Amino acid sequence: MTDETSGTARPAVPEPSPGAPHRDPALSEKTLAARPRARRRRAPLARFLLRRILIAILLAWGITLVTFVLTNLVPGDPATANLGQRALGDPAIVAQWRQEHGLDKPLPQQYLIHLQGLLQGDLGTSQQSHRPVSQDMVETVPATLELAGAAIVVSLVLGVAFGVVAALRRDRLSDHVLRVLSLIGISVPTFWLALVAFYVFFYRLQITPGSGRIDPGLAAPPPVTGLATVDSALAGQWDVFASAVGHLLTPALVLALYTIGLLTRFTRSAVLEVLGQDYVRAARAKGLPGRVILFRYVLRSALVPIITVAGLAFGSLLSGTVLVEAIFAWPGVGQYAYKSATTLDLPAVMGVGLVVGGVYLVINLIVDVLYGVIDPRVRLQ
Amino acid sequence: MATRSQTAALLVVGALALAACSAGGVKSSSAPQSGAKTLVIDTSFDLKTADPGRTYEPTGLFVGKAVYETLLTFDGADVTKPVPALAESYELSEDGKVLTLKLKKGATFADGSPLTADDVVFSLTRVRDMKGTPSFLLDGVEVAKTDDTTITLTSKAPNPALPYILPNPALGVLNSKVAKEHGATTDASDKAEQYLNSASAGSGPYTIESFNLTSQVVLKANPKYYGAKPAYDRVVIRNVEAATQKLNVQRGDSQVALNLSGDQVTGMPANLQVKKTASANVIFLLANQDSSVSKTTPNAKFVEALRKGVDYAGLLELAGEGSTQAPGIIPSQLLGALPQDQAAKRDVEGAKAALAASGLSNPTVKLEYPSELTVNGLSFQPLAERIQANLKEVGITVDLAPAPITTALDNYRNGKEELGLWYWGPDYPDPSDYLAFLPGKLVGLRAGWKDGADKAVSAAGEKAATTIGDEARKAAYADVQTKLNASGPFIPLIQPSQNIVTAASVTGLEYHPVWTVDLADLGAK
Repeated sequence: MTDETSGTARPAVPEPSPGAPHRDPALSEKTLAARPRARRRRAPLARFLLRRILIAILLAWGITLVTFVLTNLVPGDPATANLGQRALGDPAIVAQWRQEHGLDKPLPQQYLIHLQGLLQGDLGTSQQSHRPVSQDMVETVPATLELAGAAIVVSLVLGVAFGVVAALRRDRLSDHVLRVLSLIGISVPTFWLALVAFYVFFYRLQITPGSGRIDPGLAAPPPVTGLATVDSALAGQWDVFASAVGHLLTPALVLALYTIGLLTRFTRSAVLEVLGQDYVRAARAKGLPGRVILFRYVLRSALVPIITVAGLAFGSLLSGTVLVEAIFAWPGVGQYAYKSATTLDLPAVMGVGLVVGGVYLVINLIVDVLYGVIDPRVRLQ
Repeated sequence: MATRSQTAALLVVGALALAACSAGGVKSSSAPQSGAKTLVIDTSFDLKTADPGRTYEPTGLFVGKAVYETLLTFDGADVTKPVPALAESYELSEDGKVLTLKLKKGATFADGSPLTADDVVFSLTRVRDMKGTPSFLLDGVEVAKTDDTTITLTSKAPNPALPYILPNPALGVLNSKVAKEHGATTDASDKAEQYLNSASAGSGPYTIESFNLTSQVVLKANPKYYGAKPAYDRVVIRNVEAATQKLNVQRGDSQVALNLSGDQVTGMPANLQVKKTASANVIFLLANQDSSVSKTTPNAKFVEALRKGVDYAGLLELAGEGSTQAPGIIPSQLLGALPQDQAAKRDVEGAKAALAASGLSNPTVKLEYPSELTVNGLSFQPLAERIQANLKEVGITVDLAPAPITTALDNYRNGKEELGLWYWGPDYPDPSDYLAFLPGKLVGLRAGWKDGADKAVSAAGEKAATTIGDEARKAAYADVQTKLNASGPFIPLIQPSQNIVTAASVTGLEYHPVWTVDLADLGAK
């Protein structure tokens, strides 16, 4: 890598320092306009962060309220869903079951108990597994994060690369091909794609392994992070590692396809917009090397819309995993959520809602902070 | 020009990333290591617990059968005769109230400790008194040990079904010492479930290696098992959608697929074995007899029109090969099932005549059923649509009212459905389980059929419940069903087929109405 490219690794360098005026011959009116305000950016990053975190906490409380109300609005009786036909005929069993699960209390009281538990880090006890929901989450969330994480990494690498290529080769063949592909990625339903991918790669071509996270003949690595790939590598079990990577491949690509399509389109238009700016033209006229222009000016400016889209896309990835997990028998939070919902396991449903909501919050927070880091003007808003 | 090289570099990076990923995939698709024999079974999980005292769901019974042993069991698929398991012999007293069992010698738990009469008494009492889902199995049964090898089960009323109940994996015998250490009690304060979901305290051929309610259960052979060593060292039971199950077993990624529908097993390659057997699940229609729920369905002539209006052959076609019509509410495998020639037949003219005699003109009824429920791979939606079309020919308009199962169950359970489409699987393979369909009983009430609503049926039921001796019981239960078919609110439809696909290497598989498959029976070639 050249030193120019390494600049993208630390976009935190905010503005050209006053001591180096020769470095910004291409400043546009936009950046010039932002200059006077730059003097006020002494504390803002910390204040900006604090404000964002406070908002996140408020939102988290909102999530608890919404998940509680929504799950308790569902018609249907959890006792009916959880007890056998015969047991339902015995009022003593039904009453005992309700009492055991705190369902005999009025709703506001149930919510307070729930909230009190949450403050102590207790997500409640699953009616299904009779285990703390938090323990179930510890087992299922890493599987989903591994899947969604792999998908987002693949999406970012390929989506941004494709977008840049398409923009640079605007209206040529490769641009058209990439645009059509991204359109397909966006419009094809994920569950259908999962079925087709499983059928083609696993069954027809026989190049990918089947359901689950690792081959059933292999023993799971000792859990450290909960990520099968990382844990097996840590344990030095390379056959398990290869199996885990192989199992991750198809579902992650299936999940990523939508996001790749989205990122390709957004990156392309963002890059095209920046390419049209005067300062880029000026830089080019000055004879700066193409890669310097690309990485230092174009990509950095295009990064804000790309991060916005990536953050939103991560949300859609999480919802996409429910179906992908079902088809690939992936033991993640999606399958857990589905099972909990169909058996009206309310504590588990609320737990999933909170954890997924929490992940959204964290992603949003990261995106917000990244805005602030990349573009100091954002901090002042 | 630099721009172009940048493009090329990016494309190369992308291609490399893809290539690296796919290389990993190829490598890992190699077969599991040889040596230890692993059996992979795919099934759609219906699993809530591995605690035998709380087990009620199909997957739970399947796991329970492999891990825990019961006093009695069934030989293969024959559920008409209980045979010894932990008990070496059993005897029912002449009045049908006392069942005496002699314990086999030499049985040990997975930790090597001997299985005693005290363990049996503790385990059975626990199931009955902790008020879990299967506690009804031993309602009113006193469990006692007379000496170190003799157990007596005493019921207040004659209980000829008891030997058929005892093989239920819910009545598996726990290592009481280990279980008590982990919170097991014989009352509602029992806390052993969490422990039993992670380890097994049984004497069966397998023990639990890992247990996850939503994804997979791994069993390993019990090294201390005193009986014949099972053929597989490790059994992985995975929760897999039916469509994926099919591809997995065809590709050789799994050896057994348990939940394929009739459609899915047609055209299976020759290297796979397909076992098609009528399941013990009976799908039926119920017509509510409560006049506050419906003005239409309590009319006996209307029910007759329904019975004659349904096209049973058409339903069988939908259900696929291996399914069978249900002549009565008791499934074909059980003692007391009605012979096929007594099954109802479609008679459109007769149905029209009955409808005319009912005095109802162009009746409209609401048919409720669980929308996303499948029984043996058969969905209720097409069944309901077919019934709607059948009855339209007769002059009955059926409005379909599907609902998610958790919501649909509420109305069904509370007896609020005008017309319902449901199924019943045996809790234990004895006809007495079906007395629940009588007036005033569990399912009877769901059809708004109150106690005393049909004295003849009730009397036949009471007689059957106390009859002793196989031949006499057969006749008594046939009589109950004939009367039920004549005047009851239930219309038995079909028993869908249980389709099990196995690799050629798996031998000895039998479909069992209670625990689906006994893992200990499976061999390898």
